[in-house]
Amino acid sequence: MSSVMRAAVAEARSNRGAFWTQVSAMALNDIVWVLFWVIFFGRVGTVRGWDRSRVFLLFAVLTTGGGLVLGLLSNARRIGQLVVDGGIDAALALPVPPWPYLLVRGVDPVNLGDVVFGVSLFAVSGSPTLERTAVYLLGAAAGAVVLASFLVAAGSLTFFAGRSEAGDLGFNAIILLSSYPVDIFAGTTKVLLYSVVPAAFVAAVPARLVDHFRLPQAFALVGVAAAFAAISWAVFTAGLRRYTSSAIWTRA
Amino acid sequence: MSIVADGLTKVFESGRGRRRRRVEAVRAVSFSVDKGERIAFIGPNGAGKSTSIKMLTGILFPTSGSAQVLGMTPWRERRALTRRVGTLFGQRSQLWLELTPRETFRMLGAIHGIDQAALRRRVAELGELLDAGELFDTPVRSLSLGQRMRCELAACMLHDPAILFLDEPTIGLDLLAKQRFRELLVRLNEERQTTVLLTSHDVADLEHVAQRAIVINHGIVIYDSEVAVMRRTLLSTKLVEVALAGPAPSPEIAGVTFTQVTETSLRAVVDTTVRPIKAVLDAVLVELPVTDISVTDPPLEQVIAEIYAMPST
Amino acid sequence: MSEPWPLVATGSAARRAIRDPGPLAVSLAFYGVVASVLATLWRTAAASHGGALAGYSSAQFVWYIFTSEASIMALNPRQIELTGEDIATGAVAVELLRPAPVLGVRIATEVGRCLPRLMGCALLGAVFATVMVGGPPRPAALFLAAPSLVLAVTCNLTAQHAFAGAAFWIRDARSTWFLYQKLVFVLGGMLLPLQVLPAWLHGVAAVLPFTAMAYAPARLASGHLEPWLLALQLGWLAVLAVVARTVFAAGERRLQVVGG
Repeated sequence: MSSVMRAAVAEARSNRGAFWTQVSAMALNDIVWVLFWVIFFGRVGTVRGWDRSRVFLLFAVLTTGGGLVLGLLSNARRIGQLVVDGGIDAALALPVPPWPYLLVRGVDPVNLGDVVFGVSLFAVSGSPTLERTAVYLLGAAAGAVVLASFLVAAGSLTFFAGRSEAGDLGFNAIILLSSYPVDIFAGTTKVLLYSVVPAAFVAAVPARLVDHFRLPQAFALVGVAAAFAAISWAVFTAGLRRYTSSAIWTRA
Repeated sequence: MSIVADGLTKVFESGRGRRRRRVEAVRAVSFSVDKGERIAFIGPNGAGKSTSIKMLTGILFPTSGSAQVLGMTPWRERRALTRRVGTLFGQRSQLWLELTPRETFRMLGAIHGIDQAALRRRVAELGELLDAGELFDTPVRSLSLGQRMRCELAACMLHDPAILFLDEPTIGLDLLAKQRFRELLVRLNEERQTTVLLTSHDVADLEHVAQRAIVINHGIVIYDSEVAVMRRTLLSTKLVEVALAGPAPSPEIAGVTFTQVTETSLRAVVDTTVRPIKAVLDAVLVELPVTDISVTDPPLEQVIAEIYAMPST
Repeated sequence: MSEPWPLVATGSAARRAIRDPGPLAVSLAFYGVVASVLATLWRTAAASHGGALAGYSSAQFVWYIFTSEASIMALNPRQIELTGEDIATGAVAVELLRPAPVLGVRIATEVGRCLPRLMGCALLGAVFATVMVGGPPRPAALFLAAPSLVLAVTCNLTAQHAFAGAAFWIRDARSTWFLYQKLVFVLGGMLLPLQVLPAWLHGVAAVLPFTAMAYAPARLASGHLEPWLLALQLGWLAVLAVVARTVFAAGERRLQVVGG
């Protein structure tokens, strides 16, 4: 696995052309986001238990965890595309289990910039004590697992549907929904965000835990992460079985 | 005179300081074209053909020299000129890919200010003339390249231009499509006296379309004469390649020089002024155990080499 | 009589876009999710602030956000990149062979392409907003918001073409499209009504053309009957058109000297 990762990093390194543009784009994106919340809370104060510092925690967790997933496991978001254009076949031709191979094989160093941003944000505004830092890191890790699992599961729907739209939509939806304090939502939407599209667990729950650590909730987070990992593995495997055993028309 | 070019020169400069590069794409090109003529601008890649056309259509300023197209200086009166000439770039499409050709025609008709009824008539006319009528309602992206080029041709002719400039129009077309395209160009020229100026690096375009050939190499005109004359002096050779069933002695045929002989193949250069190609082929087919045979024109490079080798005029 | 080419260009492009419902549906779905989330945020914020914030009630916020998002989402976010690419590859150079202004044809075509998305988002947004907070706070103002949306999109596209024109000189200028996008998001009033901004930032935004691209129609739709906003948009459109025309004229001239 490590050799695969090394190769992936080398491949990513060679694409230096658009690298700095993408990095600037992401940096600008992050800055605008921070600015937005500064203005927002400047006017509003607190909303349903969320204030500026907690939203910054959310953003730090999201950029750290999300950056890790999109940076190191960048194929997680591309499963749908890989199915449609035959990239899965390349993985199947090798004597390694496809799921971990595919995940580790794609590296997008641009997104690692987000990790840097997240860590810096936490250092600057997160009042980092030893405990808070530990919760932040573990929370980000758990959130990353949830995110990666969701992306793989959504992408795996392409095995069944034949088109990659579900994966793309899923990716955009979860990233978007994860970047908001979940408590602004009510009713069915809120339930959705804690279940089907687990955006709440990607960043909001970990952020709340940093501020207000409660063991049962921490266990719940870890449990959910593990559960989603299992679900995504199951969906992917089922989809792969269908893919290899029948003739699904793909563009390849 | 429809077109007069006098000493057209274009120098491209790029880079800065020490890395400054000067490329003389076109050097003092001069020629003139009468109304209704069919001219081919032939030359290898990078010879300056496209650059010349761009100057004549006004989208490129020359570094020096002058030109008059239909009495206008192209780069100074570009907008006015575009109403009187049509241009087809082989590698760029005028047609919107997601639309049908008819919808593009409507757009172009509006741009040229063509009355709607007149436009409809013109489209129908062109559809018949170019054997493309049934293609006009198919989305462009579903058409083959040959079909698309016929629609592109219609698009350039909508406003009934006096001159048609074509830059590498047959590039990428298969043999049959190329022949068809060439026939259509001749037809257009004969129907409406449209002056045709096309560029190409395919000698066959020259032979089948043009009445006059201008050969350009490294930005300079090295030859300007009627195709009939050229055919007699430069294009009289053909290359014949024969695949054999087994070794056989090369026959003695007048006008035929065998350049490469192996156990299973033969290559020969035929001087068609000495003996017509059909006679040569007849002889070869009779005297040799032929399994396959091909006849090709001499490559452009050879024609150019021969031009250089000609005694100076 | 010949048809006026701007209408043909816009019409063809709009028809073309409608004929490809797949991407249209995806855009609408995306708009639905993004606008709903942002609207929920502001509605909750206003509610927890005593029912109003910066002069907007919860309902007004919701109608504002759905409109401001529609005016921006109608456009292809990478339009600047696409136009820049056409300039860099010489596609624009060949368009000089037509007797119509290159810029005019392009803008007319892009406006046409955006219209189906704009109408779809506007309709969807109106439905969502009504479900969320009830009907439009002031139907008369909503009536003005419709032409304002079209003006907003036209202003935006014109400005983007001016921005993309940098590609005539700097090949890679087109990759800076995200810079423009962020300016519109914050200073154009897409993410929040301008009245929410701190006073000095509001002042800066007020003198920039971005307010014509999202704030104007959103302000109208949120129930503020301010018809002078339409005049503001027309004014900015004129200015932006001049700028874009100047950039393109200079750029085209450069193409003719340097080659496409």
